[in-house]
Amino acid sequence: MDTSDTVQATANDWSPEVDELRRRREDAERLGGGEAVAKHHARGRSTIRERVASLVDEGSFQEVGKLTGTGHYDERGRIVRVTPAPYVMGLAEIDGRPVAVGGEDFTIRGGTSWSGDRKKGGQGGFVEDLAYQYRIPLVNLIDGSGGSVTSIQRRGHAVFPGVHGFERSVALMGTVPVVSAVIGTAAGGPAGRAILSHFTVMVKGSAQVFAAGPPVVERSLGQKITKEELGGSHLAVDVAGTIDNAVADEAACFAAIRRYLSYMPQNVWELPPVTPCDDPVDRREDELLRIVPRERRKPYDMRKLMGLVVDRGSLFEIQPTFGKAVITALARLGGRVVGVVANNPMVYGGAMDVKAARKQTHFIDLCDCFHIPIVFLVDVPGFMVGKDAEAAATLREGMRSVYVALQASVPMYTVVVRKCYGMAGMGTTDKNGLDFKIAWPSAEWGSLPIEGGVAAAFRREIAEHPDPKRREAEIEAELRAFASPFRTAEAFGVEDIVDPRETRGYLCRFVEAAQGKLRTTLGPKAKTGVRP
Amino acid sequence: MARYEAKAEVTGSVWKIVTSVGQAIGAGDTIMIVESMKMEIPVLADEGGTIAAFLVTEGMSVAEGDAVAVLER
Repeated sequence: MDTSDTVQATANDWSPEVDELRRRREDAERLGGGEAVAKHHARGRSTIRERVASLVDEGSFQEVGKLTGTGHYDERGRIVRVTPAPYVMGLAEIDGRPVAVGGEDFTIRGGTSWSGDRKKGGQGGFVEDLAYQYRIPLVNLIDGSGGSVTSIQRRGHAVFPGVHGFERSVALMGTVPVVSAVIGTAAGGPAGRAILSHFTVMVKGSAQVFAAGPPVVERSLGQKITKEELGGSHLAVDVAGTIDNAVADEAACFAAIRRYLSYMPQNVWELPPVTPCDDPVDRREDELLRIVPRERRKPYDMRKLMGLVVDRGSLFEIQPTFGKAVITALARLGGRVVGVVANNPMVYGGAMDVKAARKQTHFIDLCDCFHIPIVFLVDVPGFMVGKDAEAAATLREGMRSVYVALQASVPMYTVVVRKCYGMAGMGTTDKNGLDFKIAWPSAEWGSLPIEGGVAAAFRREIAEHPDPKRREAEIEAELRAFASPFRTAEAFGVEDIVDPRETRGYLCRFVEAAQGKLRTTLGPKAKTGVRP
Repeated sequence: MARYEAKAEVTGSVWKIVTSVGQAIGAGDTIMIVESMKMEIPVLADEGGTIAAFLVTEGMSVAEGDAVAVLER
């Protein structure tokens, strides 16, 4: 190299700028600075960068927008440092599949929103565009309180609600799996953003979610309430069902997100991944033969029953502590993903109350959207009865659940374990598909249970009898003989009756056979009509 | 010794108390049976312990979430 080449090479060297790029990236890595990060850690919380690293496959995070923030310059216009934007996001992988992931950085102004030329996260942010345009799942790690009234001062005007792209958040709901974890206190926009998700999870004790926090509640209603009472996991998960699952700590939170996504396709144009299954599809569990008590008043452990039927260890329950009269879980049969909806006889005999109805509606919507076949393990005496149930609009929420099931087009399999009565029972059948119903010998069905119906239908005959109680029991016994499931099977009113031990093999076979239908009906599902 | 309450999962009436004060029970054991929706719904112990007191008697109505017994562990 001669001298002129050396001079030329030095003149063309971009090292100073690359050094500046490195320093700016280092500023971003420092988040809100040593003191703010230490304070955050002292409260038992990880930073957003640590959270992303814990969630995604090791080394897979490619950050986007790392240079965003507020630059601080000296008098000669040279960069001194950058205060990063309080949102970290990018592309990553979970189990080798790409995802868009982002979350607020609480160490900078408590993760309040930031105004650049383009939003990084939250509704309508780049991370949402990334998920939407590339058809990959979106994971929101929420730890921020959203907008602040101070922004009105900065902008000089008030922003109309919704200008920042909530329509993108809505469009995502019919396109790709969206998972939101509430890890800190979320109010306003971030709280709303969390709800626009297919799966939500929050950390017990350290996360709260509400439309507005305690100061606003006190000012509006005069109620003094702690943020944990107002939006902690007991209220938000167990009582309200606003958030699906509560977990003990951040590690469990990320494990739940990874687990959930393992059941999901990347988008609605694909099927969920099939996992290798070493659990024999023809496994017969003798315990199933004895799990349902012959005495009709005695309940049994439906969760145990579910576990005996699906692939070992594959049950992942959604909303386990809300609407407990029904159990909703993702699971696998022969390695293929299914949704299981099972009535829980331990809670109101499995009668569908308003909360169970809401839970079932959401779960059926979810499975239908992502082409996941549904298995109903049915033991439902009907809708919940009583003044409280009527006041809570059980009938309306229950019929909404029935409507959603009857509108769904994903293959559904009805396994009647014990009771299948009334409209709640009707909502467990595949009316847009094969309408395929199998039953255990313990099954019984009808428009209403015999014991409830006899008193009303034979009122005069019973009243006029010298021993009305005896006559009522006699009529019940006479009618019960006709209620044998074998009689309905003779009429092909139910497609089959199975030995309970055959259930797994039977279902695995038909789930496998339905793959052709699933493969040829992919894509978004437009729903018409008005939900009741 | 820590005390905790066992709660009814459902609204109904106490049909049968199947344990007694001072009795040691394990996690998942049935403490009493509540009749609801014509079903016998057990109230189960979340954790093992000894029954310290009953807060209800047979025939009493209970609401969902009501404490029905106190246990010590």
